[in-house]
Amino acid sequence: MTDELTPVDIIAESAGPKEAAVAQPAANGEGEVYSPRLAGSKDIIITEHVDKWFGDFQALDDVSLRIKEHEIVVILGPSGSGKSTYIRCLNRLEEHDAGRIVIDGIEMNEDVRAMAAIRSEVGMVFQQFNLFPHISVLSNITLGPQKVRHMPKLEAEALAMQLLERVGIPEQADKFPSQLSGGQQQRVAIARALAMQPKIMLFDEPTSALDPEMIKEVLDVMQELAESGMTMIVVTHEMGFAREVADRLVFFDEGALVEQGTPEHFFTNPREERTKLFLSQIL
Amino acid sequence: MSELPPIPRPEQAPLPPPPGQRRIVLPPHRQRARRPWSVRAREWIRRNLFPSPGGTLLTLLSAGVMGIMLAGVIWFVFFDANWNVITANRWLLFAGSFPREEAWRLWTSIAVVMFLIGLAYGTWSSLGRRDTLFVVLTGAFVIFLMAHGGASIWSSIWFLVAIGLLYVGYYLTIWMPRETSTRRAWQQRIVGGLLALSLPIVLIVLMANGGATTRQFDGFVLNLILAPVGIVGGLVVAIPLALGRASTMRTIKWTCTAYIEIVRGAPLLGWLFVALFILTDVIGDNLIINTMVVLAVFTGAYMAEYIRGGLQALPSGQYEAAQAVGLTKLQSMQLIILPQALRISIPPIVGQAIAIWKDTTLVTIILTLRELKGNADSAIAQSEFIPDRIEAYVFVAVVFWVVAFMMSRVSQRLERAQGIGER
Repeated sequence: MTDELTPVDIIAESAGPKEAAVAQPAANGEGEVYSPRLAGSKDIIITEHVDKWFGDFQALDDVSLRIKEHEIVVILGPSGSGKSTYIRCLNRLEEHDAGRIVIDGIEMNEDVRAMAAIRSEVGMVFQQFNLFPHISVLSNITLGPQKVRHMPKLEAEALAMQLLERVGIPEQADKFPSQLSGGQQQRVAIARALAMQPKIMLFDEPTSALDPEMIKEVLDVMQELAESGMTMIVVTHEMGFAREVADRLVFFDEGALVEQGTPEHFFTNPREERTKLFLSQIL
Repeated sequence: MSELPPIPRPEQAPLPPPPGQRRIVLPPHRQRARRPWSVRAREWIRRNLFPSPGGTLLTLLSAGVMGIMLAGVIWFVFFDANWNVITANRWLLFAGSFPREEAWRLWTSIAVVMFLIGLAYGTWSSLGRRDTLFVVLTGAFVIFLMAHGGASIWSSIWFLVAIGLLYVGYYLTIWMPRETSTRRAWQQRIVGGLLALSLPIVLIVLMANGGATTRQFDGFVLNLILAPVGIVGGLVVAIPLALGRASTMRTIKWTCTAYIEIVRGAPLLGWLFVALFILTDVIGDNLIINTMVVLAVFTGAYMAEYIRGGLQALPSGQYEAAQAVGLTKLQSMQLIILPQALRISIPPIVGQAIAIWKDTTLVTIILTLRELKGNADSAIAQSEFIPDRIEAYVFVAVVFWVVAFMMSRVSQRLERAQGIGER
């Protein structure tokens, strides 16, 4: 399917929404629409022919993918298939070696300002939560707004409390992360990412380190987020979530994008053999 | 197949009484506590001292060894030793050529430091019975020395005031709430800032307005000044060094690595010769300043390695999360990485602090610097005290031990106080 996407001429526009290097796709909606609710929304993430090497190991092999604003994309694949590497490239926790990545009109390159602009647009939630253990839950959330967006402290705290309400644990604000359960920690991590008011949220196996009874509380928060119109890219093995919430599923194997389609397509009639094999093992 | 014999079961515990008439059942160790103390004492002795024939033998053996040693110590301290060498030379040992008429500056410095220690204990920790015992014993020891040597009553009173200030500072802060709040944050900032400033404050009290000059720092006072300068200066040097060694920029990394390896490759004694013969041409002929520089440079190299260990112990997720939140490199170092890395490296850093505290005796090799041990040497060089060299050195050893022990206690408290929020 990736082959069918035609390379797009990029017109650099000086009057873009960001100060950093700006590039807009030539026409709106070059990517395919996987859900009727996405008709008319623009491509917010554009990746073209992205390669990534770790030494001699090719982690990403010519990955081209366009994601629309408000779209929920779930990335599937066996371990080592490059799905985590792919979303880590989207906020430059990894640098891609070839191809191009454009996030909301900002071309990802060596420019530090472009990187800062992208990171403020993209929130990330990690498998291991990665909360800062030496400061309180509230400070974990207010840190970004205060230090990066220079928000006054009281305002940042009000925002943090609002987000803690949203993820359902306002009473934990003054505790330290280690005093919380795994599910609560992950919900704090989501609140921390949301505090930067990102347009895009990346989830790197957000429930894989959780006890089974805590998975649901995190998935519920994610579902609520999806319904609120957030653009989300989720690496997960939660097939229930993929089936119910996702607009599109993408299957990675050996660093390459093998197949993509609606959940219905995937669960009833996958095209590629590798996809069938993977789904038969996981379902 | 024949039926297996039934497994013998232990007697079943009685069912709990129905709700409404529940009795509080204490756990076993609390039940024992209700028996008379004589029974409990007998049991404790049997269990801990005479649990088996082998155990009994070990108890008797170690009791014998300890008894012989204790008897020897008591015999030496109270009957054999001639402590006049200490009492007669107490000012020489304590401050040497520090001008006597400026002694109030020393007392004031001690009082200020005690007050700050009290504030810190009240803010982050608490004083237990053992700490009080330690303060009382040390205080009694010092006052006994002063009284026995015929010092004026005022110095004893000054010293008591200093101890009093420790508790004043402590009770000023101990009642304040410990929960995270803006007020608590300010309290921590103020007390921490005062602690960080204590060394400059002390130096100002000692030297300002026609006080002592650096060349007059002498005896135990010199140890008490050199060691903190080495420790604080070392930390100041160590943090950028550690970050530099962990840097990805080659030149910075190599420079820092070279510094650390070169400094650690030679003994402190060697570097003190550098202070004596080389720094005199570079910095100046004030040997105390040169020694301070060498101590900071030397300690910094070791502490840098400990901090680097702390940096490496942090999971990479912390760096990634800081980046993902949007912090710059500098911000994530300052707010996320360093606070955690420093906390991990508290124990080895305090170990290094204790080492440099004891190593301040090495400055004796620079003959114009006379610290406690050097002045003990001159005390026993007087003809009347020649036979009392053991007394003099025992005294010096005890003084060093007391301070080192205090440092290790503070380290334990620091670890515990910082333990909150540990992963």
